[in-house]
Amino acid sequence: MGSVTTNFQSESPLHPAARAFLDDAFDRGWADPSKPHQSSRQTAILLNESKEIFSRHLGIRTDQVEFLADPAIGFHLGLSGLFSEFGQFFHSAVDRSEVFAAAETLGGIKLPVGLNGLATYPEGTERDLLAWQAANGETGIISFQPSTFKGRIFVDATASGPHLRMPDRWHSGLWNSQSWQGPRGLGIFALSDRSAWKNPLPHIDHNISSSNFSIPLAIASALALEGYVSDYKAEKKRIEALNVRIRDFLASEIRDVDIAGHVSGGLPHLLSFSILYIDAQILINKLDERGFAVDSGSACNSANMEPSHVLAAMGILTHGNVRLTLHPTVKDEEIEEFLHVLKEEVAELRS
Amino acid sequence: MELNCLGMRCPLPIIKLAQQLKKTEEVTLLSDDPATLPDLTAWARMTGNTFTTLGEHRYLVKRL
Repeated sequence: MGSVTTNFQSESPLHPAARAFLDDAFDRGWADPSKPHQSSRQTAILLNESKEIFSRHLGIRTDQVEFLADPAIGFHLGLSGLFSEFGQFFHSAVDRSEVFAAAETLGGIKLPVGLNGLATYPEGTERDLLAWQAANGETGIISFQPSTFKGRIFVDATASGPHLRMPDRWHSGLWNSQSWQGPRGLGIFALSDRSAWKNPLPHIDHNISSSNFSIPLAIASALALEGYVSDYKAEKKRIEALNVRIRDFLASEIRDVDIAGHVSGGLPHLLSFSILYIDAQILINKLDERGFAVDSGSACNSANMEPSHVLAAMGILTHGNVRLTLHPTVKDEEIEEFLHVLKEEVAELRS
Repeated sequence: MELNCLGMRCPLPIIKLAQQLKKTEEVTLLSDDPATLPDLTAWARMTGNTFTTLGEHRYLVKRL
């Protein structure tokens, strides 16, 4: 029962580069950037520098960067703001629940996915709207490009962050600071063209969001993004190899494991697999006792006792599910130890 | 053979089903767990066994 826990959860501590600057960010970024004082100018400069970092790594222009205190509201802004009552709204069966919530209100058409987790997009018309998830946050599976779709496109980049480019054509986009080890409670929202968009929230001016986001956290998030991108670049090959190693091990060493997707079509740091006849909750507690914190999409592990809609839509086994996020700091030895412990615990639970 | 798994949570219905199928070739499974239908689908693909949905919470499962 070591006190050191290997963290395979999607959440992670704040990136060290952001943490080192937090005090400074609150010291220098507290003022209202729109006021005429020196302190305000200093805040405005820091905020602009942050916008440049977001612009560079997320593939959007600096004047498109909008901050949201709650990333979830970005789904409503991005989808309802582009929706036309004369068009249809398409989304995939593996989208986030916030997209389903929007579809519930707007009336949406759910596109099915196969075992590969991929939806095929219709051509649609110019009035139609597509919620396009760049990559899935549970399985890491990278979606087909929406290049043949003629309508408006909302890009959900909340899981893919800086890992994937924006599609050639897009209208609104959303990112979550947590996906690059930034602080929780910050979303980045962007519109490619204001003319196609109508603010769905009550508003009295031209501002996109009235949300009172924390400027110091936005600055910290930019630093986290810069640090994360550089860490990831250095470790990408190794993380990819670890993903392959885990998949090979599961296929050869543990019977009846259902692995979602393939390394080639996915983000290498995400991995989801389900082990037949295993109760995920018991397994996760056992792994936790032995120093490994993992996520799960199994029903017994969710608040509403429903299995992950992503796994169910793909036809992947929903019980015995384990979800791993391989953070850039994960060590090769930790993976080997994890696989060894996993095999032991599964054997014991199955006996 | 009828196997009543009503009120049981995943993965129990699938575990009980697999145990029962070692003894009989055909099982009518009763299960109201929301994970049962997706899991039967995945289980059938993984093991080669087949099933048909007879009604709400009612499935006919056949051994390969």
